[in-house]
Amino acid sequence: MTGAPVVFVVDDDASVRSSLKFLLSTVGLQTETFDSADSFLHKKRSDVPSCLVLDVRLPGLSGLDFQRELAAQNICIPIVFLTGHGDIPMSVRAMKAGAVEFLTKPFRDQDLLDAVRVALDRDRARREQEKEMADLRTRFDSLTSREQEVVSKVVAGMLNKQIAAELGTAESTVKVQRSRAMEKMKAGSLADLINMIQKVQPPSQKAS
Amino acid sequence: MSSFPTSRVNTTLEDSIPEAGASLASILCTEELERRPWRPPDFEKENRALVALMSGLADSPSTIFQTLADTILDITQCDSAGLSLLTRDGQKPDVCGKRFYWPAIAGMWNPHVGGGTPRNFGPCGDVLDQNRTLLFTHFERRYPYLMPVSPAAEECLLVPFYVAGEAVGTIWAIMHSDRRKFDAEDDRVMASLGKFASSAYQALAHIEDLKFQVSEREKAEAEVRELARGLEAKIRRLVDANVVGMVMWNLEGAITGANEAFLRMVQYDIEDIASGRVRWTELTPPEWHDRDERAITELKTTGIFQPFEKEYFRKDGSRVPVLLGGALFEGNGNDGVAFVLDLTEQKRAQEKLQEAQQSLYATQVDLARVSRLTTMGELTVSIAHEVNQPLTAITNNGSACLRLLASKNLDSEVLRRALEEIVADGNRASAVIARIRGFIKKVPAEKSELDVNEVIQEVLALVGPELRKNRVSVECDLRKALPPVLADRVQLQQVLLNLIVNSIEAMTAVTDRPRALVVQSQVEEAGGLMVAVRDSGTGLSSEPDRVFTPFFTTKATGMGMGLPISRSLVEGHGGRLWATSNSPHGAVFSFTLPPAGSSS
Repeated sequence: MTGAPVVFVVDDDASVRSSLKFLLSTVGLQTETFDSADSFLHKKRSDVPSCLVLDVRLPGLSGLDFQRELAAQNICIPIVFLTGHGDIPMSVRAMKAGAVEFLTKPFRDQDLLDAVRVALDRDRARREQEKEMADLRTRFDSLTSREQEVVSKVVAGMLNKQIAAELGTAESTVKVQRSRAMEKMKAGSLADLINMIQKVQPPSQKAS
Repeated sequence: MSSFPTSRVNTTLEDSIPEAGASLASILCTEELERRPWRPPDFEKENRALVALMSGLADSPSTIFQTLADTILDITQCDSAGLSLLTRDGQKPDVCGKRFYWPAIAGMWNPHVGGGTPRNFGPCGDVLDQNRTLLFTHFERRYPYLMPVSPAAEECLLVPFYVAGEAVGTIWAIMHSDRRKFDAEDDRVMASLGKFASSAYQALAHIEDLKFQVSEREKAEAEVRELARGLEAKIRRLVDANVVGMVMWNLEGAITGANEAFLRMVQYDIEDIASGRVRWTELTPPEWHDRDERAITELKTTGIFQPFEKEYFRKDGSRVPVLLGGALFEGNGNDGVAFVLDLTEQKRAQEKLQEAQQSLYATQVDLARVSRLTTMGELTVSIAHEVNQPLTAITNNGSACLRLLASKNLDSEVLRRALEEIVADGNRASAVIARIRGFIKKVPAEKSELDVNEVIQEVLALVGPELRKNRVSVECDLRKALPPVLADRVQLQQVLLNLIVNSIEAMTAVTDRPRALVVQSQVEEAGGLMVAVRDSGTGLSSEPDRVFTPFFTTKATGMGMGLPISRSLVEGHGGRLWATSNSPHGAVFSFTLPPAGSSS
């Protein structure tokens, strides 16, 4: 999509950072390294698929605290944790909080590369989904309020005649508004439209 | 003049005694008595006088002297009559008195009752000195202090007054005028009355004395009774309270009485005691007979025996530990009483305390073990992190190079940089190891000359509870008079503790043979010491030395560090530690230590 993916590496050990950068470069991945959680948070990141390779034991904010902090700031980035020694309760906490993988140093190169790939794929998918949602939202927003009203009722399963009666207009008017909305939403079929509207207006919201 | 206060009279009299006055002879005229006309005794009058004295004695004995004075006045028809008694306290007649006092006076001198004269300077003193009746005329010429006592004495007849055969005073009759002269009959009658009065007085004194004695005795008896009642009540209370066991006995071995507490202790009832079947000699287990003998010897010399601990058989044959103390009764020296305290609870408490101490010790040992493990654990984590960083970098760099190599994409400059980093990280890792080793080395050994046998005994005492808990028997085969070694006591203890605890743990699974631990010490040919710890446990594998590999363990809870650490400690002392198989079962862990002074 838009630009090459980036792997962010946060580790307080310079050798580990540079060796990770080198290893990731062998599979053509771009890497940005940081020596602490803070410096990562203060960096303006480009809008490309990315993931975070994070040492659990960090000076200042620990890896797990950092993970919580990111969630709190609504930053959705997949995390691959690295740890000096395997601590099962810690890894369970990390995985529950959404980590992609929890690797014990020193790890097999393939394990890290696989984890990074999974993380990037996950981020890419998330981004695509977000983009699709944004498109849908834009298209939905381009509908007139009457068109939006008509579409909502169509999705709810009402016939044109019923809609016209409810809105106090002619059935032919409803027909026109409906086809215009289909066109604006780029929906090929009624099923398509229903699918799209359900994404933009989740059923729980509609019920209100 | 006649009625001024007595005390002032006395003082004046004392002061008026001159250096020399008229001679004694010049105031005496005793011979006159015989020369004066004789008159027959008036027995009727005398009898009346005696009756008067008798009834006086019966009616009011305390005024017997005044009755006597009145009687003399009456019978001799004189002007004044009275008594002078030697006294010390001014009341009771006393031969050693320094003064005469006048307890009773009748007639004209009556106002002078209570007055007196000095013992050695006066007519009364002269009478006592000569121990006979004397007749004076105007004695104030020799004894001027009598001059102011009025009216003056024309003639004075004095007869000695005896109490219990001793002259303690005089009775006297005075004529203040020459109305009549005293004669031999006066002398006789006065002596007779005096004798009577003396007897009466003595009887009276005796009665008073007796009364006093009786009252004193009654008082004393009452006190004793009170005391005895109190004491008896106290003893009764002590016996009946059954706070302590009380037992009455004799030296022949009989028990003549006992309280409930004692009976409860030995579980006999009062009938058993009453029947005489229960003897203290038989209540005492044989091994305590010697101690009893010593107590009896003590009893015979001092009358008591100091409390001591012993045991009694109960009726059911079980034993009760007691504290016993007692004494012989005064008298025949055969019967006595003893108190007996049941020590069962105390002994139980003592055992509990010991158990508590043992479990406390066990807890301490556990705690020490846990803290050792924790320290090891922390050390491991720290080492892992420190070493893992360079290792991670090395493997990352190496893997990256291999990948590039595989895709034939490895630039020599990239390779050089990667290899440089690999070398740097390798160095870094070894520096971490060196630092840890240096840190461990920093714990200084404090070496001193030690007796290894002593250290063995200390460690065995430490693991005593563990040995008992696991029912492991211990045999010490220690060579006497071992040469000392130069070693760190704590480290040596640690090595021995490790080996012995290992042995105990190796034997816990053994159920089909005795669990036997043998600790030996001996001198090697080269002069060094060798210590061996043998067990009858599960034994070693075909490669005994594997147990010294770090983290090798057969135990569920072990770290596998005990033996490697022990080996390095022994080697730190210039010795060796190795393992061999014991025959027929178990293992032998032996270590050597060079003798003190063999090397630095």
